[in-house]
Amino acid sequence: MVRLITHNLLACHAKGCTSNNFPLAFSNVQIEIREAEFNPEFLKNFIPKVEWNALVDTARQLGDTSLPLEQPEMLDEEFLKSLHHVLLEIHVEEGVMTCPNCKHEYPISNGIPNMLLAEHEIG
Amino acid sequence: MPPAVKKTSVSEDPQVYENLHVHEVYEKIAVHFSATRYKPWPIIAQFLSGLPEGWIGLDSGTGNGKYLPLPENNSVLVGLDRSFNLLKIARHAGSNNAVREVVRGDVLDSPWRPGIFDYAISIATIHHLATTQRRKLAVQRLLQAVSDSHGRILIYVWAIEQDELSKREIPVEDSTVSEKTTMGQDVFVPWNLNRQSTRSDNETQIFNRYYHMFAKGELIALVVEAARELGLHIGPRGRDQEIKQGVDIVQDGWERSNYYIELRRWKA
Ligand SMILES: [Zn+2]
Repeated sequence: MVRLITHNLLACHAKGCTSNNFPLAFSNVQIEIREAEFNPEFLKNFIPKVEWNALVDTARQLGDTSLPLEQPEMLDEEFLKSLHHVLLEIHVEEGVMTCPNCKHEYPISNGIPNMLLAEHEIG
Repeated sequence: MPPAVKKTSVSEDPQVYENLHVHEVYEKIAVHFSATRYKPWPIIAQFLSGLPEGWIGLDSGTGNGKYLPLPENNSVLVGLDRSFNLLKIARHAGSNNAVREVVRGDVLDSPWRPGIFDYAISIATIHHLATTQRRKLAVQRLLQAVSDSHGRILIYVWAIEQDELSKREIPVEDSTVSEKTTMGQDVFVPWNLNRQSTRSDNETQIFNRYYHMFAKGELIALVVEAARELGLHIGPRGRDQEIKQGVDIVQDGWERSNYYIELRRWKA
């Protein structure tokens, strides 16, 4: 499954691609929404690790505009519910992720992103 | 009675060798293999259940994903593997309705933001790499994947020293299991796959999987060398102000035919 929680961890690792190599941009996606159990404590602990701009931009690419551009200081229930939905309930089943720097494409099929590189692409 | 283990040696390009004797085999035996792998080892279960809420982990070489459901209520564990067929199983590990985070990739690559994970586990994976150099690189990838201030790591590899219950016959001379040696043993472990043939009888296909069986002391030596090459101090954080970052060996030992080591990174 590629949910945005995992997407937020991924970076391009093609040979020589070490800066501006994140976040990978989605295209041609098929999305499924699956409900997940709401766990505010988990979210609060995860927030410091999130790259906020990447998360907001990526959610917007997928048509979800519920997150504010600036990460709020007050973590109210409404905000946490939006964050929960974006991070944990949107599943990208098929599609492509493209590196913003070198344009390398990583395909997603059956909900599994393929980050393998060919021999000559390995850094 | 499990089939006998035979000695082997790696004579070709290690990547080519692993493709043939590890990756292609798992791709073919995935479903059958997965049906036999369901019991988590106690030390791993204990490690995973004691993690802080909200932590994000990497299961490097997740296979059928049997550990992915374990930290369910307090953290997320992302499974990495080369085998697409194993990942298709890992996606639903624990229950058919469950969704697990899995990524196809190589344990020698690093397709992540550096240091983004709070913890990483590598269970029964590094022993499939065909040279010491590659096994060391796999350890370094784990050290780089986790936080430099609090990252925790657990590694398990197969040991020459086997459990009596495993009933495997290991073809090593007594001299190679002496206390002094830190050299392991390269072996093939056959996997018998029974498949329904087009004729009425069953055909058994035998797949040889490559393993490097670790000698006593070899895992810890590998970890120490891997960490030193990354400029990490080995041991707990001390009073010395000059030492900026390090990795503490929390525990190491032998459990059920495997050696394990638990590590914790720290930064001054
Ligand atoms: Zn790139």
